[in-house]
Amino acid sequence: MSAYAALRGAGYRAYTRDRTTLFFTFAFPLLFLVVFGLIFSGQDVEESGRPYISYIAPGVLSWGVANAAVFGVAFTLMQWRRDDILRLIRMTPTPLSAVLGSRFVLALGIGLVQAALFVAVALLPAFGLALSGRWPLAVPLLVLGITAFLALGAIVGSFTSTPEAVAAVANCLMVPMAFLSGSFYPLDAMPEWMRTLSWILPLRHLNDGVSGALTGSGDLGDLGVAAGGLAVFAVVFGVVAVRCFRWSDRV
Amino acid sequence: MTKEPTVSPTPGPGDDAQPAVVLTGVRKHYGATRAVDGVSFTIARGEFFGLLGPNGAGKTTLIEIMEGLREADAGTVAVLGTSPWPRDRALLPRLGVQTQSSAFFVRLTAREHLATVAALYRAEPAAVDRTLALVGLAEQAGTRVEDLSGGQRQRLAIASALVHDPELLFLDEPTAALDPQARRALWRVLRDLKGAGRTIVYTTHHLDEAEALCDRVAIMAEGRVSALDSPNRLIAGATSATRLLVPAERLTLAQASDLPGVSRASLEGDVVVLETEDPGPLLAAVERTAGLHGVQTRTATLEDVYLTITEARSTSERSTTS
Repeated sequence: MSAYAALRGAGYRAYTRDRTTLFFTFAFPLLFLVVFGLIFSGQDVEESGRPYISYIAPGVLSWGVANAAVFGVAFTLMQWRRDDILRLIRMTPTPLSAVLGSRFVLALGIGLVQAALFVAVALLPAFGLALSGRWPLAVPLLVLGITAFLALGAIVGSFTSTPEAVAAVANCLMVPMAFLSGSFYPLDAMPEWMRTLSWILPLRHLNDGVSGALTGSGDLGDLGVAAGGLAVFAVVFGVVAVRCFRWSDRV
Repeated sequence: MTKEPTVSPTPGPGDDAQPAVVLTGVRKHYGATRAVDGVSFTIARGEFFGLLGPNGAGKTTLIEIMEGLREADAGTVAVLGTSPWPRDRALLPRLGVQTQSSAFFVRLTAREHLATVAALYRAEPAAVDRTLALVGLAEQAGTRVEDLSGGQRQRLAIASALVHDPELLFLDEPTAALDPQARRALWRVLRDLKGAGRTIVYTTHHLDEAEALCDRVAIMAEGRVSALDSPNRLIAGATSATRLLVPAERLTLAQASDLPGVSRASLEGDVVVLETEDPGPLLAAVERTAGLHGVQTRTATLEDVYLTITEARSTSERSTTS
């Protein structure tokens, strides 16, 4: 068994044996879907004439997947460093790529399962999401998004040393970003300057991409812009994450 | 080929004459604190080497420099012939490092944790159950790491250092949380490892343990090595006084002071303690005066030497700073 496979296996077991976290990782975005679905039931967005659900479902899905990626890796890295697990790994010939690669594969698995479950619920008549024929394009966009947000979470996990700090920092990043990127409220209904500002937020690009793929808003060029934006964020955050990575708080 | 960690010969390239560790003038400062202040010594292959000293003496920093977790500010460090800093992935599988008792992959069983560590070292899977049995955790193999007792956690941490059959082992207070039976069982494991040619670098606050196990000990104080020799030679060199303990009801202090060769006599609880440079004639005199029943003889231990050295060091430090 390779070091990568060993770490992936250990991470998978740790994850699936923590029933509470497992449940809420999948229930949290669904909860938002239910709340917003009830609030905006049957309404259309005035500016575009499209139903709210076609904004909110992709938006909440993107936010839920991004949130799980950031929190999952940030908590794990912080806890592994605090408990000297990273120090243990550091003393074995394991390359850093195996450590980060194993977390990446776990985050991808979680994100894709989250997305499938979420879309299945959103398609129920109560919520009334209608899928576009190009929905499979959401998969590569989600992969790019998870990569970018995983790297962001790795940065958070390298700069924090308590669970409280992880929660505070990650929430500070993710909650305002969710609103400013249109996850919980349609960007089309926001002021012009807010829409302009949202371009510097990675979640905006994930929202655009997932929305375009699932509901058919925009053209393929817009999907390309979203994918390109996410790729840039993934590279920038990835470089910073590798540079910030610390095996121990004490060295 | 099946390998038994307890009997296989030391693997590895190079000649056996090459020392396991060579330190020359190693220094490490944190701001104004001189954690390690010019340490030089050599640890031979197959040696059981004790690193002793009070908390804050610089032992942990020095060990971490040898393990390659920290870079020395000055001096040279050679471990199995190469520098441990920066991280050398070819050297790491040849070292075994006892982890903190908290450093377990969460929600795994003892066996799953050790199997993960073995895979990280690319050790053979069969080593996992063998190592669990070696440290006496075979029955707890299926227990979650969170549910292990303190002593069991400590043994699992030691197993993490042994599972890949390393040439050089760093053990940091490995018996601290163990009960007396587990402690003695670990002594046997360590003696077997030494018998198989492993080199062991050992820190402990149990001086009796260092005396029983170590070929040589270095006593550190204030970042420097204050004494370095075999336990027996350290004891012999430090003091020649012998203490005789006589039950107080059979000998008064006045009688004791009159006995031949007594340099000091004192009452400690229910025994009269006699100190002498020449125990032979004194024992004969005690036999005549009080009888030998219940009389105990105490010679200096490594603990006495240790306390003398570390206290002298801190006293001189106080007098120079005040």
